Amino acid sequence: VKPIQKPVQVVKIDSQMLTTELLILPDGRILVHNLTQPFAELLHELNPIDEQIASRNSITQPETH
Amino acid sequence: MICAEPTFPDPAIISRSELARERARLAHAALTDCHLCAHHCGVNRRANETGLCRAGAKARIFIAQTEVSDELALIPTFAIAFSGCDLRCDFCITGASSWNPRAGEILSPGTVAERAMEALAAGARTIMILGGEPTIHLPTALEIVAALPDSAKLIWKTNAHGSASARDFLNGMFNVWLADYKFGNDACAQRLARVPDYVHVVQENLRWANEHSELIVRHLLMPGHVECCWRPTAEWLGENLPGTKINLRSGFWPAWHASRHSDLCGTVSQAESDQAVQIAQDCELNLIK
Repeated sequence: VKPIQKPVQVVKIDSQMLTTELLILPDGRILVHNLTQPFAELLHELNPIDEQIASRNSITQPETH
Repeated sequence: MICAEPTFPDPAIISRSELARERARLAHAALTDCHLCAHHCGVNRRANETGLCRAGAKARIFIAQTEVSDELALIPTFAIAFSGCDLRCDFCITGASSWNPRAGEILSPGTVAERAMEALAAGARTIMILGGEPTIHLPTALEIVAALPDSAKLIWKTNAHGSASARDFLNGMFNVWLADYKFGNDACAQRLARVPDYVHVVQENLRWANEHSELIVRHLLMPGHVECCWRPTAEWLGENLPGTKINLRSGFWPAWHASRHSDLCGTVSQAESDQAVQIAQDCELNLIK
């Protein structure tokens, strides 16, 4: 795995802007940092059987009765 | 020079927000002789002197958003991340902002609290203050607490390298301490994060946090560090903090300056991860997700 270096940047905190970081490994695994709800939903769609993401996606869904 | 000796009103007779407001004032004064973290630099941050963290008197924020990547019992959480840190972990996943206290922007505590309350109204369960390392920005953190309702569940996400003075300011402010125990020995801590006397300081903070709030301890497994870092950490936790919730994380990635260390250029193998879980079971740890 090639080491990742994050560039120095000035981050603007915009209430409309969400940030999630991913590292996709050569074997297909995806590591995630700062996971937001929209990205959890996207990752869940890509791989519905992943338990880690499924548990985080389901906890953010509105309750249905 | 110490300009103000902190006095701490009885938490039983005033609200959290009132207490936080008073402590924020005292914490600002304490920046003139900063001993918030265990480096004890003693610099006057209000006069633009900087210690090892390089932070000034004003806190900047590089993330303020709702996230779902933390412990299941805490999410969704509105995460408020301060720039700057007192440690120098070469593998820091937010190194660009955590090593640079001038990253991000200055937001008023009122604005941050307003966004946090909007997040709570939209379904967030908790509010998490983190960094970098929030301890070095205690005055602003306390101002944010002062602007939040007492009913809000607050999480203090920390590297557990704070001083006794910081703990006095924090007493009664946060419902949950989410604390890292990164290194199982001082040699790895010195080499990878340039921090001396790490184990003693972290253990002192964890014992205190366990007595004063709910405590969740995190350990990020590092490749090649199961025996030197995880095993002693697990053994200490099992012996000294039995039953404490432990989150053993295996998602290490070689971020920031990890390439400076040949042992940190990859990820954690499945075998290492399995071995770490076995160690946790042997130590009868209460693992959570």
